[in-house]
Amino acid sequence: MWFFILAELSVFAILILTFAVTQVLKPQMFSESRLLLNTSTGLAMTLSLITAGLFAALAQEQVRRSQPRHGAVFLLLALLAASLYVVLKVTEYRHLLASGLGMEHNTFFTLYWILTGFHFLHVLLGMFILGWLAARCRRGLYGADNHSGFESGVLYWHMVDLIWVVLFPLVYVLN
Amino acid sequence: MSASRLLLACWAALAALSVCTVLLAQVGATWLLSLAILSVAVGKAWLITEGFMELRHAPRLWRVLMLSWALVLAVLVGLSVL
Repeated sequence: MWFFILAELSVFAILILTFAVTQVLKPQMFSESRLLLNTSTGLAMTLSLITAGLFAALAQEQVRRSQPRHGAVFLLLALLAASLYVVLKVTEYRHLLASGLGMEHNTFFTLYWILTGFHFLHVLLGMFILGWLAARCRRGLYGADNHSGFESGVLYWHMVDLIWVVLFPLVYVLN
Repeated sequence: MSASRLLLACWAALAALSVCTVLLAQVGATWLLSLAILSVAVGKAWLITEGFMELRHAPRLWRVLMLSWALVLAVLVGLSVL
């Protein structure tokens, strides 16, 4: 799992550096375009993702104590927090598209859509994994002696969080 | 500190640092502030890897690799905004 996570992080590192280098080449465009994004929405997305991360980690604690059904409850809470991120992101995407700020608007938005869209797909996959883990927890399939698969799924979610905490300042905040 | 309390402390620190990122951006747009914002991002990445991902119990190589990811990115992004 760790090799997979490192591979994913490497792909995102390339995209993030592409964004940063292009910003050097077109500083004014990036500065002006960034103002069209809502930083408060970005902050709310960050809070929802890290809250989902907290619940996923708490679920892991419950599984280690051989209380998988309690773990399932925490995973459902994690899914709820992650759903808030999805709602916020989709709302932001719809708003940008309605304002004519699609992928072809300028270089900033091309990279914005690629970077955040790729991350968004990872969030959706992460949610699917959390849901799958919750279903298995409900059936009591994880416990103190059998949780390595569970931990791998939760690690994937934390990776999604980790990528976002670097993406957020770069895309929404830095000027 | 119990594991659950440690996780809650990590979450509280992550939330506080996220708000701090936005507040720093509202102060102005200098190179020093950009450096502070990137440092906060590295701090958050460290909290996730050490706290949520529990790399504090992992072999040193993995810890270094994971922590380096955010640090190297922040340094390169920081150099780009110089």
